[in-house]
Amino acid sequence: MVYPENYNKPTRLLLLVSAIWFGTFGIALAEKVTLSADHWGVAEGKACIDCHKKSSPGLFRQWEESAHAEAGVNCLDCHQAVAADDDAVEHEGAVIATIVSPRDCGRCHTAESKEMHNSVHSQAVALIGNRIPALAESVSEKALLQAGCTQCHGSVVEVRGDGTLSPESWPNTGIGRINPDGSRGSCSACHGRHQFSKAQARAPGACTRCHSGADSPDDEVYAGSKHGLLFTANRHRMNLDSDRWVTGRDYSAAPTCVTCHMGAAPGLNASHDVGMREAWSLNGPVSEQQYLVIFEDGERRELPVAQPVPRRKSDLAKLDGSTATVKAAATPKQRRQAMSRVCVECHSKGFTSGFMRQFDNAMDLYNESFGKPALSIMRALYEKGLLTATAFDEPLEFTYWKLWHDEGTRFRHGAAMAGPSQTGWQGLHRIAQLYYGSFLPQLREVAGEETAKSLIDKYTSDREARNDTGYPRAPIPLVGYGAGKP
Amino acid sequence: MIRIPEIITRHVLIALRLGGVTGMAFTLFLIEFDRLTGTEAFCTGCHSMELVAVPYRESAHYNPVSGVRASCGDCHVSEGVFAATWDHIRGGKDLFAQLFGPDYDDPAINALHLPEAAFAVRQWFRRSDSATCKRCHTLDAINGTRADTLMIHQQDARGGSCIDCHYNLVHRRVPDRKTFKRDKWNRMIEREFDMAPGEADKLLRQ
Repeated sequence: MVYPENYNKPTRLLLLVSAIWFGTFGIALAEKVTLSADHWGVAEGKACIDCHKKSSPGLFRQWEESAHAEAGVNCLDCHQAVAADDDAVEHEGAVIATIVSPRDCGRCHTAESKEMHNSVHSQAVALIGNRIPALAESVSEKALLQAGCTQCHGSVVEVRGDGTLSPESWPNTGIGRINPDGSRGSCSACHGRHQFSKAQARAPGACTRCHSGADSPDDEVYAGSKHGLLFTANRHRMNLDSDRWVTGRDYSAAPTCVTCHMGAAPGLNASHDVGMREAWSLNGPVSEQQYLVIFEDGERRELPVAQPVPRRKSDLAKLDGSTATVKAAATPKQRRQAMSRVCVECHSKGFTSGFMRQFDNAMDLYNESFGKPALSIMRALYEKGLLTATAFDEPLEFTYWKLWHDEGTRFRHGAAMAGPSQTGWQGLHRIAQLYYGSFLPQLREVAGEETAKSLIDKYTSDREARNDTGYPRAPIPLVGYGAGKP
Repeated sequence: MIRIPEIITRHVLIALRLGGVTGMAFTLFLIEFDRLTGTEAFCTGCHSMELVAVPYRESAHYNPVSGVRASCGDCHVSEGVFAATWDHIRGGKDLFAQLFGPDYDDPAINALHLPEAAFAVRQWFRRSDSATCKRCHTLDAINGTRADTLMIHQQDARGGSCIDCHYNLVHRRVPDRKTFKRDKWNRMIEREFDMAPGEADKLLRQ
């Protein structure tokens, strides 16, 4: 692993180039709308306001307080549709669509719309495509998918033959929503309509609506981190309403999610392409460092570093399965460098690289002691036919899922964002309890003593620290041995 | 002494009297005819009309809190004996289509033809400036239960006709003609009636 202060000269040059690349191309400018005002304020839209002021005063009030209202952007500017649109409906004389898709927002917010389209967020449906069948359809029902999963991930919004949006797929502000116009994403996933307040979108709540709980316990991690407590204490000093919001210039009291993952810092542009600055994947059975591959059409995907660097102009599969030409690939190192530019606004380089080292160590610990052994053992059990291919029909499958998905994810997110309690007691402590207390005993039940032992021998890397059963070797008085003795 | 013109003979008087009685009887007949043929019981005598009455019986016009029920003719037949009779004469073409046209009694065929029927009825409402709505609803008297319903009807609805905003209240939902997509409608009906893809288009062409 290379840390910023350890870079040699060629690496520094590479970093400089990559920083420029990130600054100019990779992270497009999150610019204000530059169109002239005659692009909005359609006359027919004024009639909407008169009626909605009365029929939905709450909604009207939100709009009235928005920057949209101030600029003269009315209902029809965003909701206008052409009759041929799939979800177009006639409404009091106007042809409108209920759903304002990122493509609609992009009529004015061009840069943000494009960044969002290319981001991992807009791929939220494709990303869980292989998890949903196992999780939702095997264990629970469609009702959960609709009320839970899709509210964050999104789903394909279905327009029925009578022009209405299917209640099975709407309402739905999931961030990867596939809209009737074919566009991906939902701006209102983070930007509460109809006020679209900058302050609201910059506050952690915009993210933690979804980034909380087993799958992504970032709300809990952030709340228990120094960053989170500083935000809570200093919210009034965060300048959240400011037009420009550059870390270290316009605010410095605390970082929010936006600050590190998409916000502007000196030398680093803001971007709605969230996820560009992350070196590690944190949500799989095993964590891997990842390239960020940028295709010629602007779309992106991640690729584990274990695979060869995708070459410029080569073909590679996108997340949706189609093939596209690679334009560039950012290495994990480059991605971390971008993230570190935010850190160094408040921390020293040494502090920053020290934190990154602790984070990397935690990832290695998880991978080597739990993630990889458990994955290999599970794979072997399926190959030997000791587990059925059906998901969640055996206790070991639940234990394994809980190990990497629940406790494993919490530990890794905790380590990534400096939340010690979630990393320790809520994280690794539970991982160890689960691995030694449930996973290994269940393995022996399923495979028998002999096979279990050979699997543990084969896949557990630090053999010398463990006894024959795979448990840590040294006696620990607090666990029971020698208990009560002075 | 008033002299009666010679032309008014006894026969003429009898004829006039007979004519008058017949005319009155005919007018009374028309009034009764228009009333009877506007009732739910009469209309749903045809199975095809029973199909469109099912959603009606779920609607607020069938089960209003006020207890004032609107029957088929209250909305779909104009007021006044001449207008009502004219509507029934025009409606004769529907009877003709029922007897000699597509099998509207088949729920799928009925649903496939529903949009055009809805468009025609909406047009009829528009032409009469929603006259049959106004039999019961008076713009100045619309208060609503929400605070702003009155204001919307006093200010924003001025110059408009009821049908401009209020459609899809009673029968199965059909989009406005402007945004209606025949292809999507057919696919929906096919799914609903477990039909093979493309079968709806075939049925419609029959």
